[in-house]
Amino acid sequence: MFSEAVAGASSRRGFLARTGRAILAVAGGGFVLEAMRAQKAEAFHFCGHIYTTGSCPHPTGLPRVDANGFPLRAVDGHAVDDLGRPIDKLGRPVDARGHVLIDPDGNPLPPAPRSRVCQKTGHEFGFHGQIDGAWYRCCGGHVRKLIDCCGYTRTRINGDAALTGYCYSGRHVFCVMYYDTKITC
Amino acid sequence: MVGTVRAARHPRTAGAAFAAGLALGAGVVFVALGAIGAAVSGHAVVLVALAVGAVAVASDALGLRVRPQIRFQVPEPWRREMPVSRALFLYGLLLGTGLTTYVPATAAWALPALSLALGNVRLSVAIALGFAAGRALPVLVLAARGGERVLAERPRGQRLLRVLVAASLLLALLAGTVQAAGTIASPAGDPSVEGANLAWQQPGVGGFLRQNGTTAQLPGNNPAIGATFVAWHNGPQLTVADRASLTPLTVDSVPGVQTIAVSRSWLAYRTPTEIHVRPVAETGPGTTVVKVKSPAQLGRPALGVDLVVFHRATSEASWITAVNIRSGKRLQLRYSQDALLLNPSLDGGQVLYVKEARCSQQLRIGRLGGGGDHLLYEIGPLAGQDLGHERHHTSQGEHLPCPFKPRVTKKMLWTTALSPTTAYVTVLTPGNGGHTIPTLLAVARR
Repeated sequence: MFSEAVAGASSRRGFLARTGRAILAVAGGGFVLEAMRAQKAEAFHFCGHIYTTGSCPHPTGLPRVDANGFPLRAVDGHAVDDLGRPIDKLGRPVDARGHVLIDPDGNPLPPAPRSRVCQKTGHEFGFHGQIDGAWYRCCGGHVRKLIDCCGYTRTRINGDAALTGYCYSGRHVFCVMYYDTKITC
Repeated sequence: MVGTVRAARHPRTAGAAFAAGLALGAGVVFVALGAIGAAVSGHAVVLVALAVGAVAVASDALGLRVRPQIRFQVPEPWRREMPVSRALFLYGLLLGTGLTTYVPATAAWALPALSLALGNVRLSVAIALGFAAGRALPVLVLAARGGERVLAERPRGQRLLRVLVAASLLLALLAGTVQAAGTIASPAGDPSVEGANLAWQQPGVGGFLRQNGTTAQLPGNNPAIGATFVAWHNGPQLTVADRASLTPLTVDSVPGVQTIAVSRSWLAYRTPTEIHVRPVAETGPGTTVVKVKSPAQLGRPALGVDLVVFHRATSEASWITAVNIRSGKRLQLRYSQDALLLNPSLDGGQVLYVKEARCSQQLRIGRLGGGGDHLLYEIGPLAGQDLGHERHHTSQGEHLPCPFKPRVTKKMLWTTALSPTTAYVTVLTPGNGGHTIPTLLAVARR
């Protein structure tokens, strides 16, 4: 797709990737190229992520968030609380059909805490987590915003040295998240 | 040891000294383990204890060689250097610790692990006495009936003993697992307890009271019991009655009342957004203890001597708060920004509450002031987790919320009640249209 091609061509690692592929094409031919294409798809743990920094801790696993940084269930984009339960707009837990769960007295079951993924991560790991910058890729036919969770930290969630990435003012990337937009690509 | 007992001038006195030493030695070790377990009890400790128990059952049932064994023997010169009874008492003390000499069954190694996992001093004393009896009886019986030769010449006897030990241990493990939670009634929920008496609500039917072994339906809903009182409501009409005769003491109208708690001096009730407290013999709205705005929620109130406790849950955090009714002073008993803390109840300076966390739901008990909460009952979490990585991608960099694959359940731990011996908890099971069906469980208090 054009947008994906543009995104790939304009990325910071695009030049190196193209150069590497060209060298490999010369040296190893089509077989190596095919292997490289496959690796491109499978090298990192979610689409659009182009480095090894791990996911931010998320109630359901894959670090999908909404536009405000709150957790969404990756499989269907449903809002979830910190317990991983699907919830309505008021934070009340709902069943699989979207009905608000109610107790035997007829009251909705209580809301559980729902935290912004990056801020909660910072709280858990002892720094102030914030979002500085982001980059975009085409994933599954929609533009995906890939977000660094930044903080004044020397290590990243993997346990090794943190990098600057899309963080500013001396902050480093601690972990990564993503937001799936509705914009097709 | 059998020979030493037989050689004593007064074998019964010597045997009693040996048994006393065993009981004391075992008591010291197992009580210490129980106390340590109370401080460090948790899911992992229980799992390890169950694993050790399962290995011991298999080993003894199959007659495998008992491993590990301790080569350290009791000091032989003692029986020559001091009076026999004193020597036997000291031998018993050493053997009771379990740290000396050969053990004939692998089950002996499961007992310290179980004591640690139970984390209860009283149960540890029982284990210690069982262990001491298990070590003393063969010695005493053989001393009375002809010495070790009897056992040495009949190895089948020991084999049979090991099978019996394995069966006993298996039954204990199974009983412990099954007894973890027993169903009191279903559908039933919102328990209230006073001593051995229990009240609960059956949805769509009304309140029930079980006292002196008899269960009777009450003329109202959401019953609460405390001291000599029972309270219920019919719509807004709130009744406080004598528990023995059910004769009403006060009846008044309280708009919006949903749940009630009653004690010797106080009555507390909750409306959808408020909790009020008033003297038990009075009527009227009483004092407003707390008020919230939806979607924040208040839990069912519970009463101590002059305390009312309740939970408050919002999208930011959840709290368990105690309010001194006389002074108005507030104390935050528990707080969490990650988990949902629900429906506390009180008994003897202890607070029982539900903790809905990301990877499990727990019924926990601890001191009012906090610190060292114990896990009484646990079920799986309310939500599962995905793979942590997208399809056709590697797992490198994934971060899953639970360290193990959670056994997800739709059931949710809910309201609680606490007696000196038993903890009660309502379990909600989702039905149609978001409705939930309650089941009332009893869990032995440790």
